[in-house]
Amino acid sequence: MDKTTHFGYKQVDVEKKQGLVKGVFDSVAGKYDLMNDVMSMGTHRLWKNYTISSSNVSEGDQVLDIAGGTGDLAIKFRKKVGESGKVILSDINGSMLNEGRKNLLNHGIIDVDFVQANAESLPFEDNTFDCVSIAFGLRNVTNKDIALQQMHRVLKKGGTLLILEFSKVENEMLKKIYDLYSFNVIPKFGEFFASDEDSYQYLAESIRKHPDQETLKSMTLDAGFGFCEYHNLTGGIVALHKAIKT
Amino acid sequence: MFRLAIEKALNHMINVNSINIDRLDNSLVSLYVDDIDLKLFFLCLNSRIFVIENTENKDANVDITLNKNAFLSLFKGTSFEDLIESEDIEINGSIKTAQQLADLFALSSIDIEELISQYTGDVIAHQLGRTIDRIKDASAQDKDSFIEGLKNEFTTLLIAPSRSKFFKKRAS
Repeated sequence: MDKTTHFGYKQVDVEKKQGLVKGVFDSVAGKYDLMNDVMSMGTHRLWKNYTISSSNVSEGDQVLDIAGGTGDLAIKFRKKVGESGKVILSDINGSMLNEGRKNLLNHGIIDVDFVQANAESLPFEDNTFDCVSIAFGLRNVTNKDIALQQMHRVLKKGGTLLILEFSKVENEMLKKIYDLYSFNVIPKFGEFFASDEDSYQYLAESIRKHPDQETLKSMTLDAGFGFCEYHNLTGGIVALHKAIKT
Repeated sequence: MFRLAIEKALNHMINVNSINIDRLDNSLVSLYVDDIDLKLFFLCLNSRIFVIENTENKDANVDITLNKNAFLSLFKGTSFEDLIESEDIEINGSIKTAQQLADLFALSSIDIEELISQYTGDVIAHQLGRTIDRIKDASAQDKDSFIEGLKNEFTTLLIAPSRSKFFKKRAS
């Protein structure tokens, strides 16, 4: 059995990846939102808005946002579920959760629950949530198949899984420009804005190691979801997979 | 975007009006508009409707085939029985299930002609004009909301042109 996995372009022992990813996010947590705005030139807000729009979440729903980080999706979900619903923001990384807690308080939101949890072993009962989301988090999970099965387990029948993640660019010209930008510009932005070039080099590499649209769709169906469709955003730089538990 | 707009409008209407769709629960209804080659699947689960393109080889419980005019008529409230009698619509499976879905279309007040025209992109300029008008209105009321309005409206326009306030107004 293969006991190594990828951490960016490096092969590392499976049990070490989680700690290495933790190191990355401990390092970038304080500048995470700023860097997202800089790197994507604000476009990540459009991708997230589209995700919320696709969610079908309505008043009274129970929502779990995995790898919720600084809480930008949780804030939008909270508005949709109202006081009769519930949003839980989970993240494996304590530093990111602390940033999320501060961010939600700054938005006047005090009724979102924070849970430090590994996506591979979610501490929730079966059939609990109407919607589970994970935005820019799945590629950092060591055992993605197990995490997808867990997401399926905690969703109610008819519940929706939303996976917003970097994906495979379709257009060759755009791909060349994007590669140039990812490997040459983004790490420099990381150095300039967050004093951390290595973490953003990892970001660029981890995107290339993440499954493409069709592969992720197959993995989602294999995890037990009855239906899964994806929508490419910005030429496939990002894709939103929407899976339904039947 | 076309599917998302229909899905959002139907679910919004079901939620706001507390419509019971139990008879549709666990159904997969296929709808094919033959003259514009538009195929949609309506999956009904847990009082929600999902509009999907690909069924992963699962068979639909009900197949509806109709032409564009009949499709538009469904959203304008034309009697379902009349459409069946006029042979503009062909149904394989439970007619009651098909009828309940058709009833939802009629209730939803979706401007389907607008959506179809958006499908071809010819309404973008029209929407941009409306967006600018709304931003002007917002700025007149509140200077702070001008920036928020600008961000929200251009977000909508860039990523989901069919999801707009004029559409929501019609759906509510």
